[in-house]
Amino acid sequence: MSVVDLVDVKKNYMLGETRVEALRGVSLQIDRGEFLAIAGPSGAGKSTILNMIGCIDTPSEGKVLIDGQEVEELNDTELTRIRRNKIGFIFQSFNLIAVLNVYENIEFPLLLQRSPSKREREQAVRRVIEEVGLADRIYNKPSELSGGQRQRVAIARALVTRPLIVLADEPTANLDSETGHRIVDLMRQINETEKTTFIFSTHDSHIMEHARRVVSIRDGRFTGEELKG
Amino acid sequence: MLTLKIALRTLLRRRSRMIAIGVLVAFGTFLLVFGSTFTRSAREASRSSIIDNFTGDFIVYSADSKEKPSPFAFQTPLPNIRNIEQIKSFLGGLPEVQTIVPYAQNYGLIQVERGGIKVDLPFIFYAIDPSPYRRIFRNASMVQGEFFGVDQGQAAESGVLISRFQNGQYQKNYGVTLQVGEPLILLGLTEGGSVNAVPSRLLGIFEPEYYKNVFNYINYLDITSYSNLYNFTGVSAGSLPSGFSEGLEKALQNEDSLFDLAGNTDFGKIDVSTLKSETLSGYTMIAVKLKSHGQLEKVMAEVAARGDLNIEASRWDEASGFFARIASALQAFIYLATALIFLVVIFIFMNTLIISIIERTSEIGTMRAVGAERRFVRRLFLTETLILNAFFSLAAMVLTLVLLLVLRPGGIPLPEAISQYLIGGGNLPLRLSFLPFIQALAIVIAASAIATLYPIRVATAITPLRAMSDK
Repeated sequence: MSVVDLVDVKKNYMLGETRVEALRGVSLQIDRGEFLAIAGPSGAGKSTILNMIGCIDTPSEGKVLIDGQEVEELNDTELTRIRRNKIGFIFQSFNLIAVLNVYENIEFPLLLQRSPSKREREQAVRRVIEEVGLADRIYNKPSELSGGQRQRVAIARALVTRPLIVLADEPTANLDSETGHRIVDLMRQINETEKTTFIFSTHDSHIMEHARRVVSIRDGRFTGEELKG
Repeated sequence: MLTLKIALRTLLRRRSRMIAIGVLVAFGTFLLVFGSTFTRSAREASRSSIIDNFTGDFIVYSADSKEKPSPFAFQTPLPNIRNIEQIKSFLGGLPEVQTIVPYAQNYGLIQVERGGIKVDLPFIFYAIDPSPYRRIFRNASMVQGEFFGVDQGQAAESGVLISRFQNGQYQKNYGVTLQVGEPLILLGLTEGGSVNAVPSRLLGIFEPEYYKNVFNYINYLDITSYSNLYNFTGVSAGSLPSGFSEGLEKALQNEDSLFDLAGNTDFGKIDVSTLKSETLSGYTMIAVKLKSHGQLEKVMAEVAARGDLNIEASRWDEASGFFARIASALQAFIYLATALIFLVVIFIFMNTLIISIIERTSEIGTMRAVGAERRFVRRLFLTETLILNAFFSLAAMVLTLVLLLVLRPGGIPLPEAISQYLIGGGNLPLRLSFLPFIQALAIVIAASAIATLYPIRVATAITPLRAMSDK
């Protein structure tokens, strides 16, 4: 069953007085457990697709279904609930909360969910901290971490709620290549063990090498698709 | 807990900016609590010194008067209260009334001889019945002589008391210093236009304890001398033959009727031994002191309901005019100054918050992206504001309380000129109350809420897209 369905999605917006067609009718189905890369040059529409899938932007035309649910008609609170419960985000600039330490940053989405008990939260946080290899940095603030470590925290934060989908917007763009490789390897490993769906926007060849499916996009249209092993 | 944690740490992270705002909040709180306590205390002290020394809780006066009574001002003497005994009986019968003190305000001349030359000295005075007056109002502190001899419980002597300041003015302007025990002639201009002269004596020199800037100019005369001076004594109408009394009544309406008295058969047959003398009151005001000041409105309503007595009542603060309003005006000024400070605080805080929100756009967008609802963002900024303002406000309250407790035993020393106008004189006794503290807290909370209204709108309008676009 597909966890993401994009049906002829178009997205237009105004840039000053110029009408920009960011997406010109894209359709895409993503199944559970995929490790998918959306590749293309800057301005091709990669991030716009991630925004649609992440319920942080709505299409001008077409349909977006997340886990079978159409999102166009949902209000802000309902969209927030979908993001909170079904989607994990990994940002290019890590986007950690500066005043919270590693543990607290990872715990943050669980606290927003409110449902897990303190003990369950602790177990969940410790599990992902172990997975991303930051057990010795648990009380450090983001400013005390390297870029790679920060991205690991961001990955842990995205995974802690065991989301259906993890969206990663150019996750290695701000990392050196070695750290970037390690981060991609880590995500791949989690994908294999946890069966979490990963969707990347990238032009990092290393990510594309590891991706099982690479969808190419240019000028708001899909231009090709490559399936691997 | 999550919002509290983030709010607290954000405040600490931006502490230099927040301390600057906090100091303003603390100053506003101090001004509000200290200023409010100060002015409340001043109002109480002013009320107490006016009521306890000059006016009572209210003053009754003749309804014929065109002006309200004003014991604090030199005005044209008010009309006499004619039916004084009936009014005294009515007021004395009210259960809420502690006591009543009738008096009059007028002016005349003191004539003394120096080196064979007669010198006329003007003087403004209260005409009083010394015993009841002294029992209630103790504003005059005797410097020489005695307060009409009543302090030892004896019957009142007739005579004059002048203030030390007044005696100094006589020396300055007329080269005359009056001596206690010195015989004087009092001169008064009666309503009929004649000048009466009454022999009297200087019984003492006093110093007013309160409101010296007014009462340095006011002196005392006993009511008996006053009645003689202004012809407020006469023959009781009831002791006159009825035909003669009626004739006199007519003459009051029409002067020509006076000549009809010549034909009155009773005229010339009056047995003088049957006539009774009667002292008209001469009183123009009656100060009424209540058992409890809280009964003021009720008793004044009862007085107003007695239209048959031809009297009106004026509250203590109306009667003391300007002086009773100084503390209230000061309080209004304090409130205005505090309001301005809080307006500045709100404005600065609002701007600081907006700058902070702009700086934290990515953080807010991230929170929204990972599942924080708008209300979470709203709560976060409200919490930050409240923590900051409550902390500095409470700190200011504690410091203010300590300061008030330190100052309380001796009261707040004020420059004499200010003290005289504000509370009648002396140190300001402090009256502590929780109310200014509660008011300050409520105002700080309200100001915090107002200051965050617009910034919260800005913050909650930040979408998760801002997190994604932060590259």
